[in-house]
Amino acid sequence: MTRAGGVFAALADPTRRGVIEALVNSPRTPGELASALAVSPQALSRHLRHLRRVGLVQAANRENDARVLEYRIRPAALRPLRGWLDRVEALWEKQLSSFRDFAERDR
Amino acid sequence: MTAGAGDFIKASVSVRLGIEQSFRLFTEQIDQWWRRGPRYRNGGPDSGLIHLEPRLDGRVFESSKSGQGERVFEIGRIVEWSPPARLAFTWRNSVFADDEMTLVEVDFTSQGASTLVTVVHRGWAAIRPDHPARHGMQIPAFQRSLGVWWGDQLSSLRSLGK
Repeated sequence: MTRAGGVFAALADPTRRGVIEALVNSPRTPGELASALAVSPQALSRHLRHLRRVGLVQAANRENDARVLEYRIRPAALRPLRGWLDRVEALWEKQLSSFRDFAERDR
Repeated sequence: MTAGAGDFIKASVSVRLGIEQSFRLFTEQIDQWWRRGPRYRNGGPDSGLIHLEPRLDGRVFESSKSGQGERVFEIGRIVEWSPPARLAFTWRNSVFADDEMTLVEVDFTSQGASTLVTVVHRGWAAIRPDHPARHGMQIPAFQRSLGVWWGDQLSSLRSLGK
């Protein structure tokens, strides 16, 4: 599976999308995430593992309290996905310029 | 990528022709302008012919001749047919799973003597190469919700620590 494919697959799940949304503004602990999303700690931990594996989130100790583990988003993981869309866009731009050339020829 | 894009791409071109004629050429003569070669067509070394049946639920498909006769690959179906302003069709790549599809919308807008042709190709966030099953949701609803979600999220995510 491509990296972009892995990111799409990870985000196809509503709970995992909820995790990303919850992390957009600030890092959170697994406990905070589980209660915000109303899922069990076990289920959440499975989803976090999936998101970690595709590189969408990372875990680190809180800056001012090393006992607290918190999760944050890794925006870099979205890059391959944007690259994929960029290629789709480039193909359509070529198609449309080909259409223009054809349409304007001899008319 | 276009600013504000979520799970869709947008491309446009201005053509020095009226809207009626632009729409007609785009649809009726699609094989004439559709690029050739493996990046644009599936039909092997000789490239297939691209067809578009000009009506609601018409097929958009590629056909190619081989030793075994004619081979047809259906790209999608027309889901909106409003000449000369707009058409939309579903779109599958040959690598998509059976239940995976995206949507191509084409808008024609008059600009004096010219016509602006805009393609929006959406639904990419719903394409999951490894997981064909989709939580029992209807595909269009799923694509819509995910498409909107992407649109909302990507702008936030992009503004995060560059």
